[in-house]
Amino acid sequence: MMIKLTKLTVQTRRSQELVDVTDEVERVVAESGVGEGLVYVMTSHTSSGVLVTEGLECLERDVVAHLERLAPDQGDYWHNRYLDIDGRLGFNAGAHLKGVISGYFAYFPISGGKIVKGGRQRVYFAEYDGPLSREYYVQVIGE
Amino acid sequence: MIDFHTHPLLVEEMIARYPDLARIARDVFYIRNRAQPLETFLLELDVAGLERAVLLPIDTTRTRGCQIYSNEQIAELCRMCDRFIGFASVDPYRPDAPEVLARAVGDLGLRGLKLAPGIQEFYPDDRRFFPLYEKAAELGVPILFHAGMTWEPGAQAKYGHPSRFEDIAHDLPQLNVVLAHLAWPWVLEAAALAAKYPNLCLDTSALYFDNPRDFVRFAMAEQVPLTLWERSLRKQLLFGSNYPRVEVKNMAWAVRALGLSDDCQRLVFADNARRLLGEEQVA
Repeated sequence: MMIKLTKLTVQTRRSQELVDVTDEVERVVAESGVGEGLVYVMTSHTSSGVLVTEGLECLERDVVAHLERLAPDQGDYWHNRYLDIDGRLGFNAGAHLKGVISGYFAYFPISGGKIVKGGRQRVYFAEYDGPLSREYYVQVIGE
Repeated sequence: MIDFHTHPLLVEEMIARYPDLARIARDVFYIRNRAQPLETFLLELDVAGLERAVLLPIDTTRTRGCQIYSNEQIAELCRMCDRFIGFASVDPYRPDAPEVLARAVGDLGLRGLKLAPGIQEFYPDDRRFFPLYEKAAELGVPILFHAGMTWEPGAQAKYGHPSRFEDIAHDLPQLNVVLAHLAWPWVLEAAALAAKYPNLCLDTSALYFDNPRDFVRFAMAEQVPLTLWERSLRKQLLFGSNYPRVEVKNMAWAVRALGLSDDCQRLVFADNARRLLGEEQVA
């Protein structure tokens, strides 16, 4: 059995946005040579997320807007304070909470060397505190 | 639209060329966030709806044994992107401080002077430093002073009390002086000086608790009335973010959310900065 971990970067361009990374994940899976197995996609940032939804711009906007309603950026949060671990104020609890809601990873089976997913499912890196250069990981496990 | 107060401390390309900048950012300036490509800085400005940013170094050679960006590094960064406006910094204790400033302006093309009395450990009204201020006036460049409290370790707020700047504004009326961070917590005292001295401006880069929207409203609409800015100091207020201690977008949204009139916002975000930079005469 093989386990391969790949680190990828994405430059987000807005304060909040969904970046479709499906093609990148599929490329990593194909290059791994794994025929049967599974793949995880994980963000390493707590003010971002990884999620799966249909690849439509309208839905992308709805996801971002709905998360903003659930966890508004300008909310009244305990996190709105100086953090000496960072040398600056926190005040991005809204971004962290969106990350909690959307989750930090996605999982798919691999069969026949390809990701098993619905025809309309797309994998997104979700930016909640951009623009930033972000890192995410793709781990392929199988044989 | 200009952000008049940024520190390019987390720019990956510069840290790759000068690795010690990472330590300086982390331990001297005290910002612990991850470095980002230059593109992120520019996207920050885009998202905030701004075109340009003033880049500020601090010469802490005497007090910390390093420079929080040298004048040459600021000039180098400005050559990488025409959206940047570089300022110089000088150790005010240097006997040749006026000459260093003259070279930074004349040879490197820098367009202002940044001094941080807290971390540079000097009282700005000490007469020993007036030749440096007079040189700035002669060169026609503004001086942006850190004022009020600072997060930098070991840097004390006592050096940045607004009363320490009155002699400069009074004695050098031809010199444009900017007190950064609204001189917080002494906003009222700083505003009083600005009300009296037309050559003294304030920048908005203040964030010390809560979030940008709530803090800026507290400092600019509760510590003093919002009408102060709208009616009396509209030509003496500059938008500044203090990036990367706070994202440009968050401070821009916070200042816009105050409800200042459109023409006042135009002055704060653009015209006042352009006037100080010698780009435009504002009536």
